[in-house]
Amino acid sequence: MSTSVPSPHPAGRARPALPSAGAPAGRGPAGDARHRRAGSWRNNRLAYAMVAPAFLFMLMVHLVPMLQGIAMSFLQLNQFTLRRFLRAPFVGLANYRSVLFDPENPVRAGLAIAARNTAIFSAVVTLLVLATGLGVALLMNRNFRGRALVRTLMLLPWVVPSYVVGILWSFMWHRDTGIINRILVDWLHLLPEKPFWLMGPNTIWAIILPTVWRSWPYVFIVFLAALQTIPGELYEAAAIDGAGPWRRFRHITLPLLRPAIAIQLLFQIIQSVYAFNIVVMMFGNGSGYAGEWGDLLMIAIQRQSFQSWLFGYGAAASVLLMLAMMGVVALWYRIFRQELIIR
Amino acid sequence: MAKWSRTLGLLLSLVMLVAGCGSSGQPAGGGDGPSGSGDQQSPPAAGTQPQAPATPAPSGRTTLQMWIMPNTTQSEQDMLQLLQPFMAQHNVDVQVTVIDWSSAWTRITAAATSGEGPDVLQLGTTWVPAIAAMGALEPLSGKVAEIGGADAFYPASWNTVSIAGDPEVYAVPWFIDVRAAYYRTDVFQKAGVDPQTAFRDWESFKAALHQINGTEIEGRPVAAIGFPGKNDWNVTHNIMPWVWGAGGSELSADLRSSAINSEEALDGVMFYTGLVREGLVPPGVLEKNTSDAEMAFHTGEFAVFFNGPWMVSQYTRPESENGHADKIAAQNYGVAPIPEGPRGRYTFFGGSNLAIFNASRHKELSWELVKFLVGKEAQMAYGEMAGMLPALKALEPDMVALNANFAPFYEAARYGRSYASIPQWGPVETVYTKHLSTIWDLTAGVSGTYSREAVKQVLDEAAREATSLLNQ
Repeated sequence: MSTSVPSPHPAGRARPALPSAGAPAGRGPAGDARHRRAGSWRNNRLAYAMVAPAFLFMLMVHLVPMLQGIAMSFLQLNQFTLRRFLRAPFVGLANYRSVLFDPENPVRAGLAIAARNTAIFSAVVTLLVLATGLGVALLMNRNFRGRALVRTLMLLPWVVPSYVVGILWSFMWHRDTGIINRILVDWLHLLPEKPFWLMGPNTIWAIILPTVWRSWPYVFIVFLAALQTIPGELYEAAAIDGAGPWRRFRHITLPLLRPAIAIQLLFQIIQSVYAFNIVVMMFGNGSGYAGEWGDLLMIAIQRQSFQSWLFGYGAAASVLLMLAMMGVVALWYRIFRQELIIR
Repeated sequence: MAKWSRTLGLLLSLVMLVAGCGSSGQPAGGGDGPSGSGDQQSPPAAGTQPQAPATPAPSGRTTLQMWIMPNTTQSEQDMLQLLQPFMAQHNVDVQVTVIDWSSAWTRITAAATSGEGPDVLQLGTTWVPAIAAMGALEPLSGKVAEIGGADAFYPASWNTVSIAGDPEVYAVPWFIDVRAAYYRTDVFQKAGVDPQTAFRDWESFKAALHQINGTEIEGRPVAAIGFPGKNDWNVTHNIMPWVWGAGGSELSADLRSSAINSEEALDGVMFYTGLVREGLVPPGVLEKNTSDAEMAFHTGEFAVFFNGPWMVSQYTRPESENGHADKIAAQNYGVAPIPEGPRGRYTFFGGSNLAIFNASRHKELSWELVKFLVGKEAQMAYGEMAGMLPALKALEPDMVALNANFAPFYEAARYGRSYASIPQWGPVETVYTKHLSTIWDLTAGVSGTYSREAVKQVLDEAAREATSLLNQ
């Protein structure tokens, strides 16, 4: 994924214009674009051929299920018609209408609460993950003894499978026996008595922190890679001109990191809106209900429709969420379009 | 170039979105499974991919496919060992695939939908009507006389082999999960409370709990009672016995609407949650799941715990064999019935049944396999392995002779109650679990104010949602 981030390094920016070996001799460098593209096609034929199987495979495993999901949203698909699957009765937009407007629709129940939680959860998680990732990357982007070891250790949370993260943290959050209350109450005396973390309003923190803990190392490693492409001379020159650390960060680091930040921002938003595993494992291994402050959209949709075998409604709700997310992506694209163009 | 990267960017984003959409697939419930397995949070096991339907093995022998859930610690090996005589007698191979409870529902519905599944499969008792209503199960009415018919099994168990209102039989009871009270004999003795009277009815039960609460054993106070609260798959199973005891029911008599918000149901919920409010339950246990709460009972945190028969077997095995014989509870425990409510004594009755997929190409042989598994020898052997009660009534004396602590569970099997056997029960249970969870938030005092009105309001919401599901 990080390869799609255009390198801010001057050397990286200047895409080496492939000497078009196949181009007729005598054509000047200002040959027209059409010819150049054709030449690049011919030159890169092998590369395209190599990529094609993977491309087709991705198309198959992503596009086909998506189309199937969209098709399901137009069908009256429940436990009684499931056996007919895509041949279930076609109901047009009725599922969408029902999910959006029918107060008696079972899939709707609690969806508003889940949407609110998801908004809070995604905003806080994205902010904390990016801030932590950037902060630690800045700290690690200097020479010190044992840097490689520390960097490797930093990646540990990221290599733990998310369902394990959920189980581990659920033990840590336990009121009487968990390490978190032990630290907060028994050792630091920050709180007068042990609070519940897996019940009541605190659950929103109980799901945010493990998610941040699991996600920041990835952002960190991407930012660190991006930081290392910024040439030291820029900082030296700025320092000679009298720029302090803050101004160097503000005017050199931040602008050159913008493409990386843009991509990570998008990834984090998408990942947190679709968060599932950690929360499911923390609250009853898929059978429980995280409560009014722990329920998230994906989980609510999954429970209210797929556990209740209302697959048509569930597919409609999923498609609606997807459309909403496409809106978010479009907005993101408008804001960060410039960062994505390879110049 | 800009255009290209834009298209690529959008395509990439789309792909990410879709990847997020694909994460469906927890089961409803799983709630009828043996907790010992349902709670062990094993990752979706590798090597459990569904196999193609039965195909002749290279040797020319027929191979039967069988799907089971992790009923024992070494589910696949144990099952194959159990099936040795069957395979030898019928000159057949059985390929056993173990599916985790948490993914079983998805796998089974997928198999039922596609027709690509095993020949014989284990079903949680509450799943039978749903899968049968999909038309995926082989009708067995013509055959069940060969295994003794309804009379050979417990009524609450036989209740789960068909769809309510339809006489056709779609499954055969395999083993049963029924709940009774484990209690600490040393605590009762020290507090001077007679367990015989303590578990007589709700009043005597509550009085006894007050008397034993905080009794010190080895210098450590033991709370009266513990039970898992909301983060668990047993939420509904734990509360319903109290609802039934108060005269309530999960559904209306015509099975068309929810009855979870009746005054009687409310009485039951108030009594059960009231135990927490009266300080008889250590609050921390309310956020635990069944296996964590089990562990807390093993190690002596509280003196009474409602659970299934598997703990009896665990208390006979050392830790090296996944048992808890060395724990304090194992050395000082007895089993008593769930106390009788004002409107009768009821307990949760679940377990697993065996069914044959109608897409199977070896139906006769599959039926032989089912017959073998509900035969006396296999029933006894598997009951011992899994710590569950065999479904066959005739084996009661043998199991009690094996361990007298099974006796109260057999008694419980007589007053045990299973849920309404309708195809929509699975979804309804999901709705109940969700809303009853909220009641534990109220009870623990972390969200809203606990009162009869507040609990009633939650039950009203549950009833509304469940009824709208039933009307779908």
